[in-house]
Amino acid sequence: MRTEVDVDGAYMEKRKKSDVKAKRMSRIKKILTYAAFVGPALLFFLTIQIVPFIMGVSYSFTSWNGVSSAVEWVGLDNYIKIFTDDSKFFNSFVFTTKFMLAAVFISNIIGFGLALLLNIALKTKNILRTVFFIPNVIGGLLLGFIWQFIFIKGFASVGNLTGLSFFNQPWLGDEVTAFWGIVIVFAWQISGYMMVIYIAALQSVDKNLLDAAKIDGASSVRMLGSIIIPLILPAFTICFFLTISMAFKIFDLNISLTGGGPFNSTESVAINIYQEAFQNNRYGLGSAKSILFFIVVAIFTTVQVMTTKKKEVEA
Amino acid sequence: MKRGLFLFLSMLFVVAIITGCSSSDSGGDDTSSEGEDTNTEEETEESTDNSEEQVTLDFFQFKVEIADQLEEMIAEYEAENPNIKINLETVGGGADYGAALKAKFASGEEPDIFNNGGFKELELWKEHLADLSDEPWVDNLLPIGKVPMTDTDGKLYGMPVNLEGYGFIYNKDLFEQAGIAEAPTTLTELKEAAQKLEDNGITPFAAGYGEWWVIGQHLLNIPFAQQEDPDTFIEGLYDGSETFIGNEKFEQFKEVIDTEIEYGNDNPITTDYNTQVTLFASGETAMLQQGNWTENMIYEINPDINMAFLPIPLNDESEADRLPVGVPNNWVLNKDSENLDETKAFLNWMVSSEVGQRYITEEFAFIPAFDNIEPTGLGALGQSILEYSKAEQTIPWTWFRWPDGANQEFAAKIQEYASGRIEYSEVVESFQSIWDDMK
Repeated sequence: MRTEVDVDGAYMEKRKKSDVKAKRMSRIKKILTYAAFVGPALLFFLTIQIVPFIMGVSYSFTSWNGVSSAVEWVGLDNYIKIFTDDSKFFNSFVFTTKFMLAAVFISNIIGFGLALLLNIALKTKNILRTVFFIPNVIGGLLLGFIWQFIFIKGFASVGNLTGLSFFNQPWLGDEVTAFWGIVIVFAWQISGYMMVIYIAALQSVDKNLLDAAKIDGASSVRMLGSIIIPLILPAFTICFFLTISMAFKIFDLNISLTGGGPFNSTESVAINIYQEAFQNNRYGLGSAKSILFFIVVAIFTTVQVMTTKKKEVEA
Repeated sequence: MKRGLFLFLSMLFVVAIITGCSSSDSGGDDTSSEGEDTNTEEETEESTDNSEEQVTLDFFQFKVEIADQLEEMIAEYEAENPNIKINLETVGGGADYGAALKAKFASGEEPDIFNNGGFKELELWKEHLADLSDEPWVDNLLPIGKVPMTDTDGKLYGMPVNLEGYGFIYNKDLFEQAGIAEAPTTLTELKEAAQKLEDNGITPFAAGYGEWWVIGQHLLNIPFAQQEDPDTFIEGLYDGSETFIGNEKFEQFKEVIDTEIEYGNDNPITTDYNTQVTLFASGETAMLQQGNWTENMIYEINPDINMAFLPIPLNDESEADRLPVGVPNNWVLNKDSENLDETKAFLNWMVSSEVGQRYITEEFAFIPAFDNIEPTGLGALGQSILEYSKAEQTIPWTWFRWPDGANQEFAAKIQEYASGRIEYSEVVESFQSIWDDMK
């Protein structure tokens, strides 16, 4: 009896051991597989995003000028200066927020409108999709210079020919036209991209649902409001997220179109930070501003994603 | 098996990336070994001790206008000195050059020869710059060329690239057409001339108020430089013993802006450098607030133009008839460069050899800052600057001594005034607060 049990027990133990071994092996294998897939990306992310970010945080507590080898620790002085004595930074925040609201609204409306239009059976829809997407392929810097020419030279000559007051305004020359100038170019650049996302979402909507609604006698407006939009809310989440973060971080388009002018009225936060760090030679202060900027953008986008996510439904 | 292979490959990839990143340090040596094909990398590194080994100098500069000609000059130098190879890299546009240079230093790819504006910029970069006080060319350097790069301890850290001047460039033919016999040198005369031009259907000024450096730097320099003693005035602003508010020259400055805007082109705020120069060169306007660096641009559009400089007069005194002439930029050497002697030799060759001198005057069309280089090949504008310099009717360029970044803030305020949004008294007050904030 005893021996039998012993043998049994030994067998069980052995089995257990090999089980554990196999489990450990497979776990190691799993980890290695993960590492193989995620590792390279993680490495890049760490070296070009996280490490500079941490360095930025540490610079934000110094008064470094960007060149000197002596880096002086100043504690919270930079942050205190930003909050107590930097109306310019505050102004650029106000401008960027206003710009973000206008830009997100307009570019999503245009993008969604184009998507609806090009989702119906048009003969030219493939060409049109490409045409509307092309501005997104052109770099923002270039686009800014092209549009600067259009606004200043193009609009002026159209105005001379037609006498329309819309074109005879001093485009980019006062704060209102400069603001809307940037919004127009941003919407022009980004709407095509949003359109592509919306089209993809629209095509995933179940045809049966729409047919059923049609049989029930629903109008197309009703179908759009009650079926299509609720079903493609995930696309809105993505598009809003993308446009909000892009609009907030606007830099290249802004710097080539208006350069923050006239009289700093269209200076985005990113330009303000760049100038502080590289032109005013206050790298520490610029870093502190960019950390604050990061926090604000993170809060805005998180709140937006959370609220739109909640509204998403499934058919 | 497949998975194992994949794993191996991706690990290899990661290793490749890491080594790829770290080997960039030896990049400089690699380029020098281009000619020797059989050497492995290790061997070339060993052979750097050899005196016949190629030396590569990294030359990072910002004058886009002369980039091609500079390349040609370098080719001639390399032909004379076969063991030297010079890598020229040009990044244009004043402020962006600074950012690019900082990035180069931060990443460890420090150039051997680069640009520096002097004064405040000298202070900023001094710890990287080589002392050039004992170089052979210093004896021939004009006094005006020494000022920007001379430190408080009397050492010289840079070689001036050239001399430049600016003012109102005027079209002599258009002036004649409007019946203006004598070139205006005082404020009243300038206004009268502008009125006459306008009466004859000619737009007097091409005002480039869209460009921050045109107004916030060049134009605003006038009231600074017209002070009794500009240096003490600026020192006074730093220590608080002088103010903008109530200063006579800054009061008079209002008239200059008013005149330029009143008699200027439409939409001055969106008029950029190119538009401004084109307006003048094509004969649409009779005057242009710019410097002699626009010469080639103007001649390209209108080769037959007949032009010269007028001062930017603050008042009707005789001292208003002076042009701001200065050193726009300097060549400096990296003191930690491994090839400091070679870079020094190159700078010296540039201003002492026949070939180098010819390039400076004829190819670059520079006004040299050396008394042993004869200025030939200058156009009408360069000649005009030279005449003012010889008559000692010059005032300094002061903006290199202003607080970093203040010029752009000043420009924004001048724009705001020019578009009629604020009063002039507010402009002067904000000059003061900008200065106090940024000093």
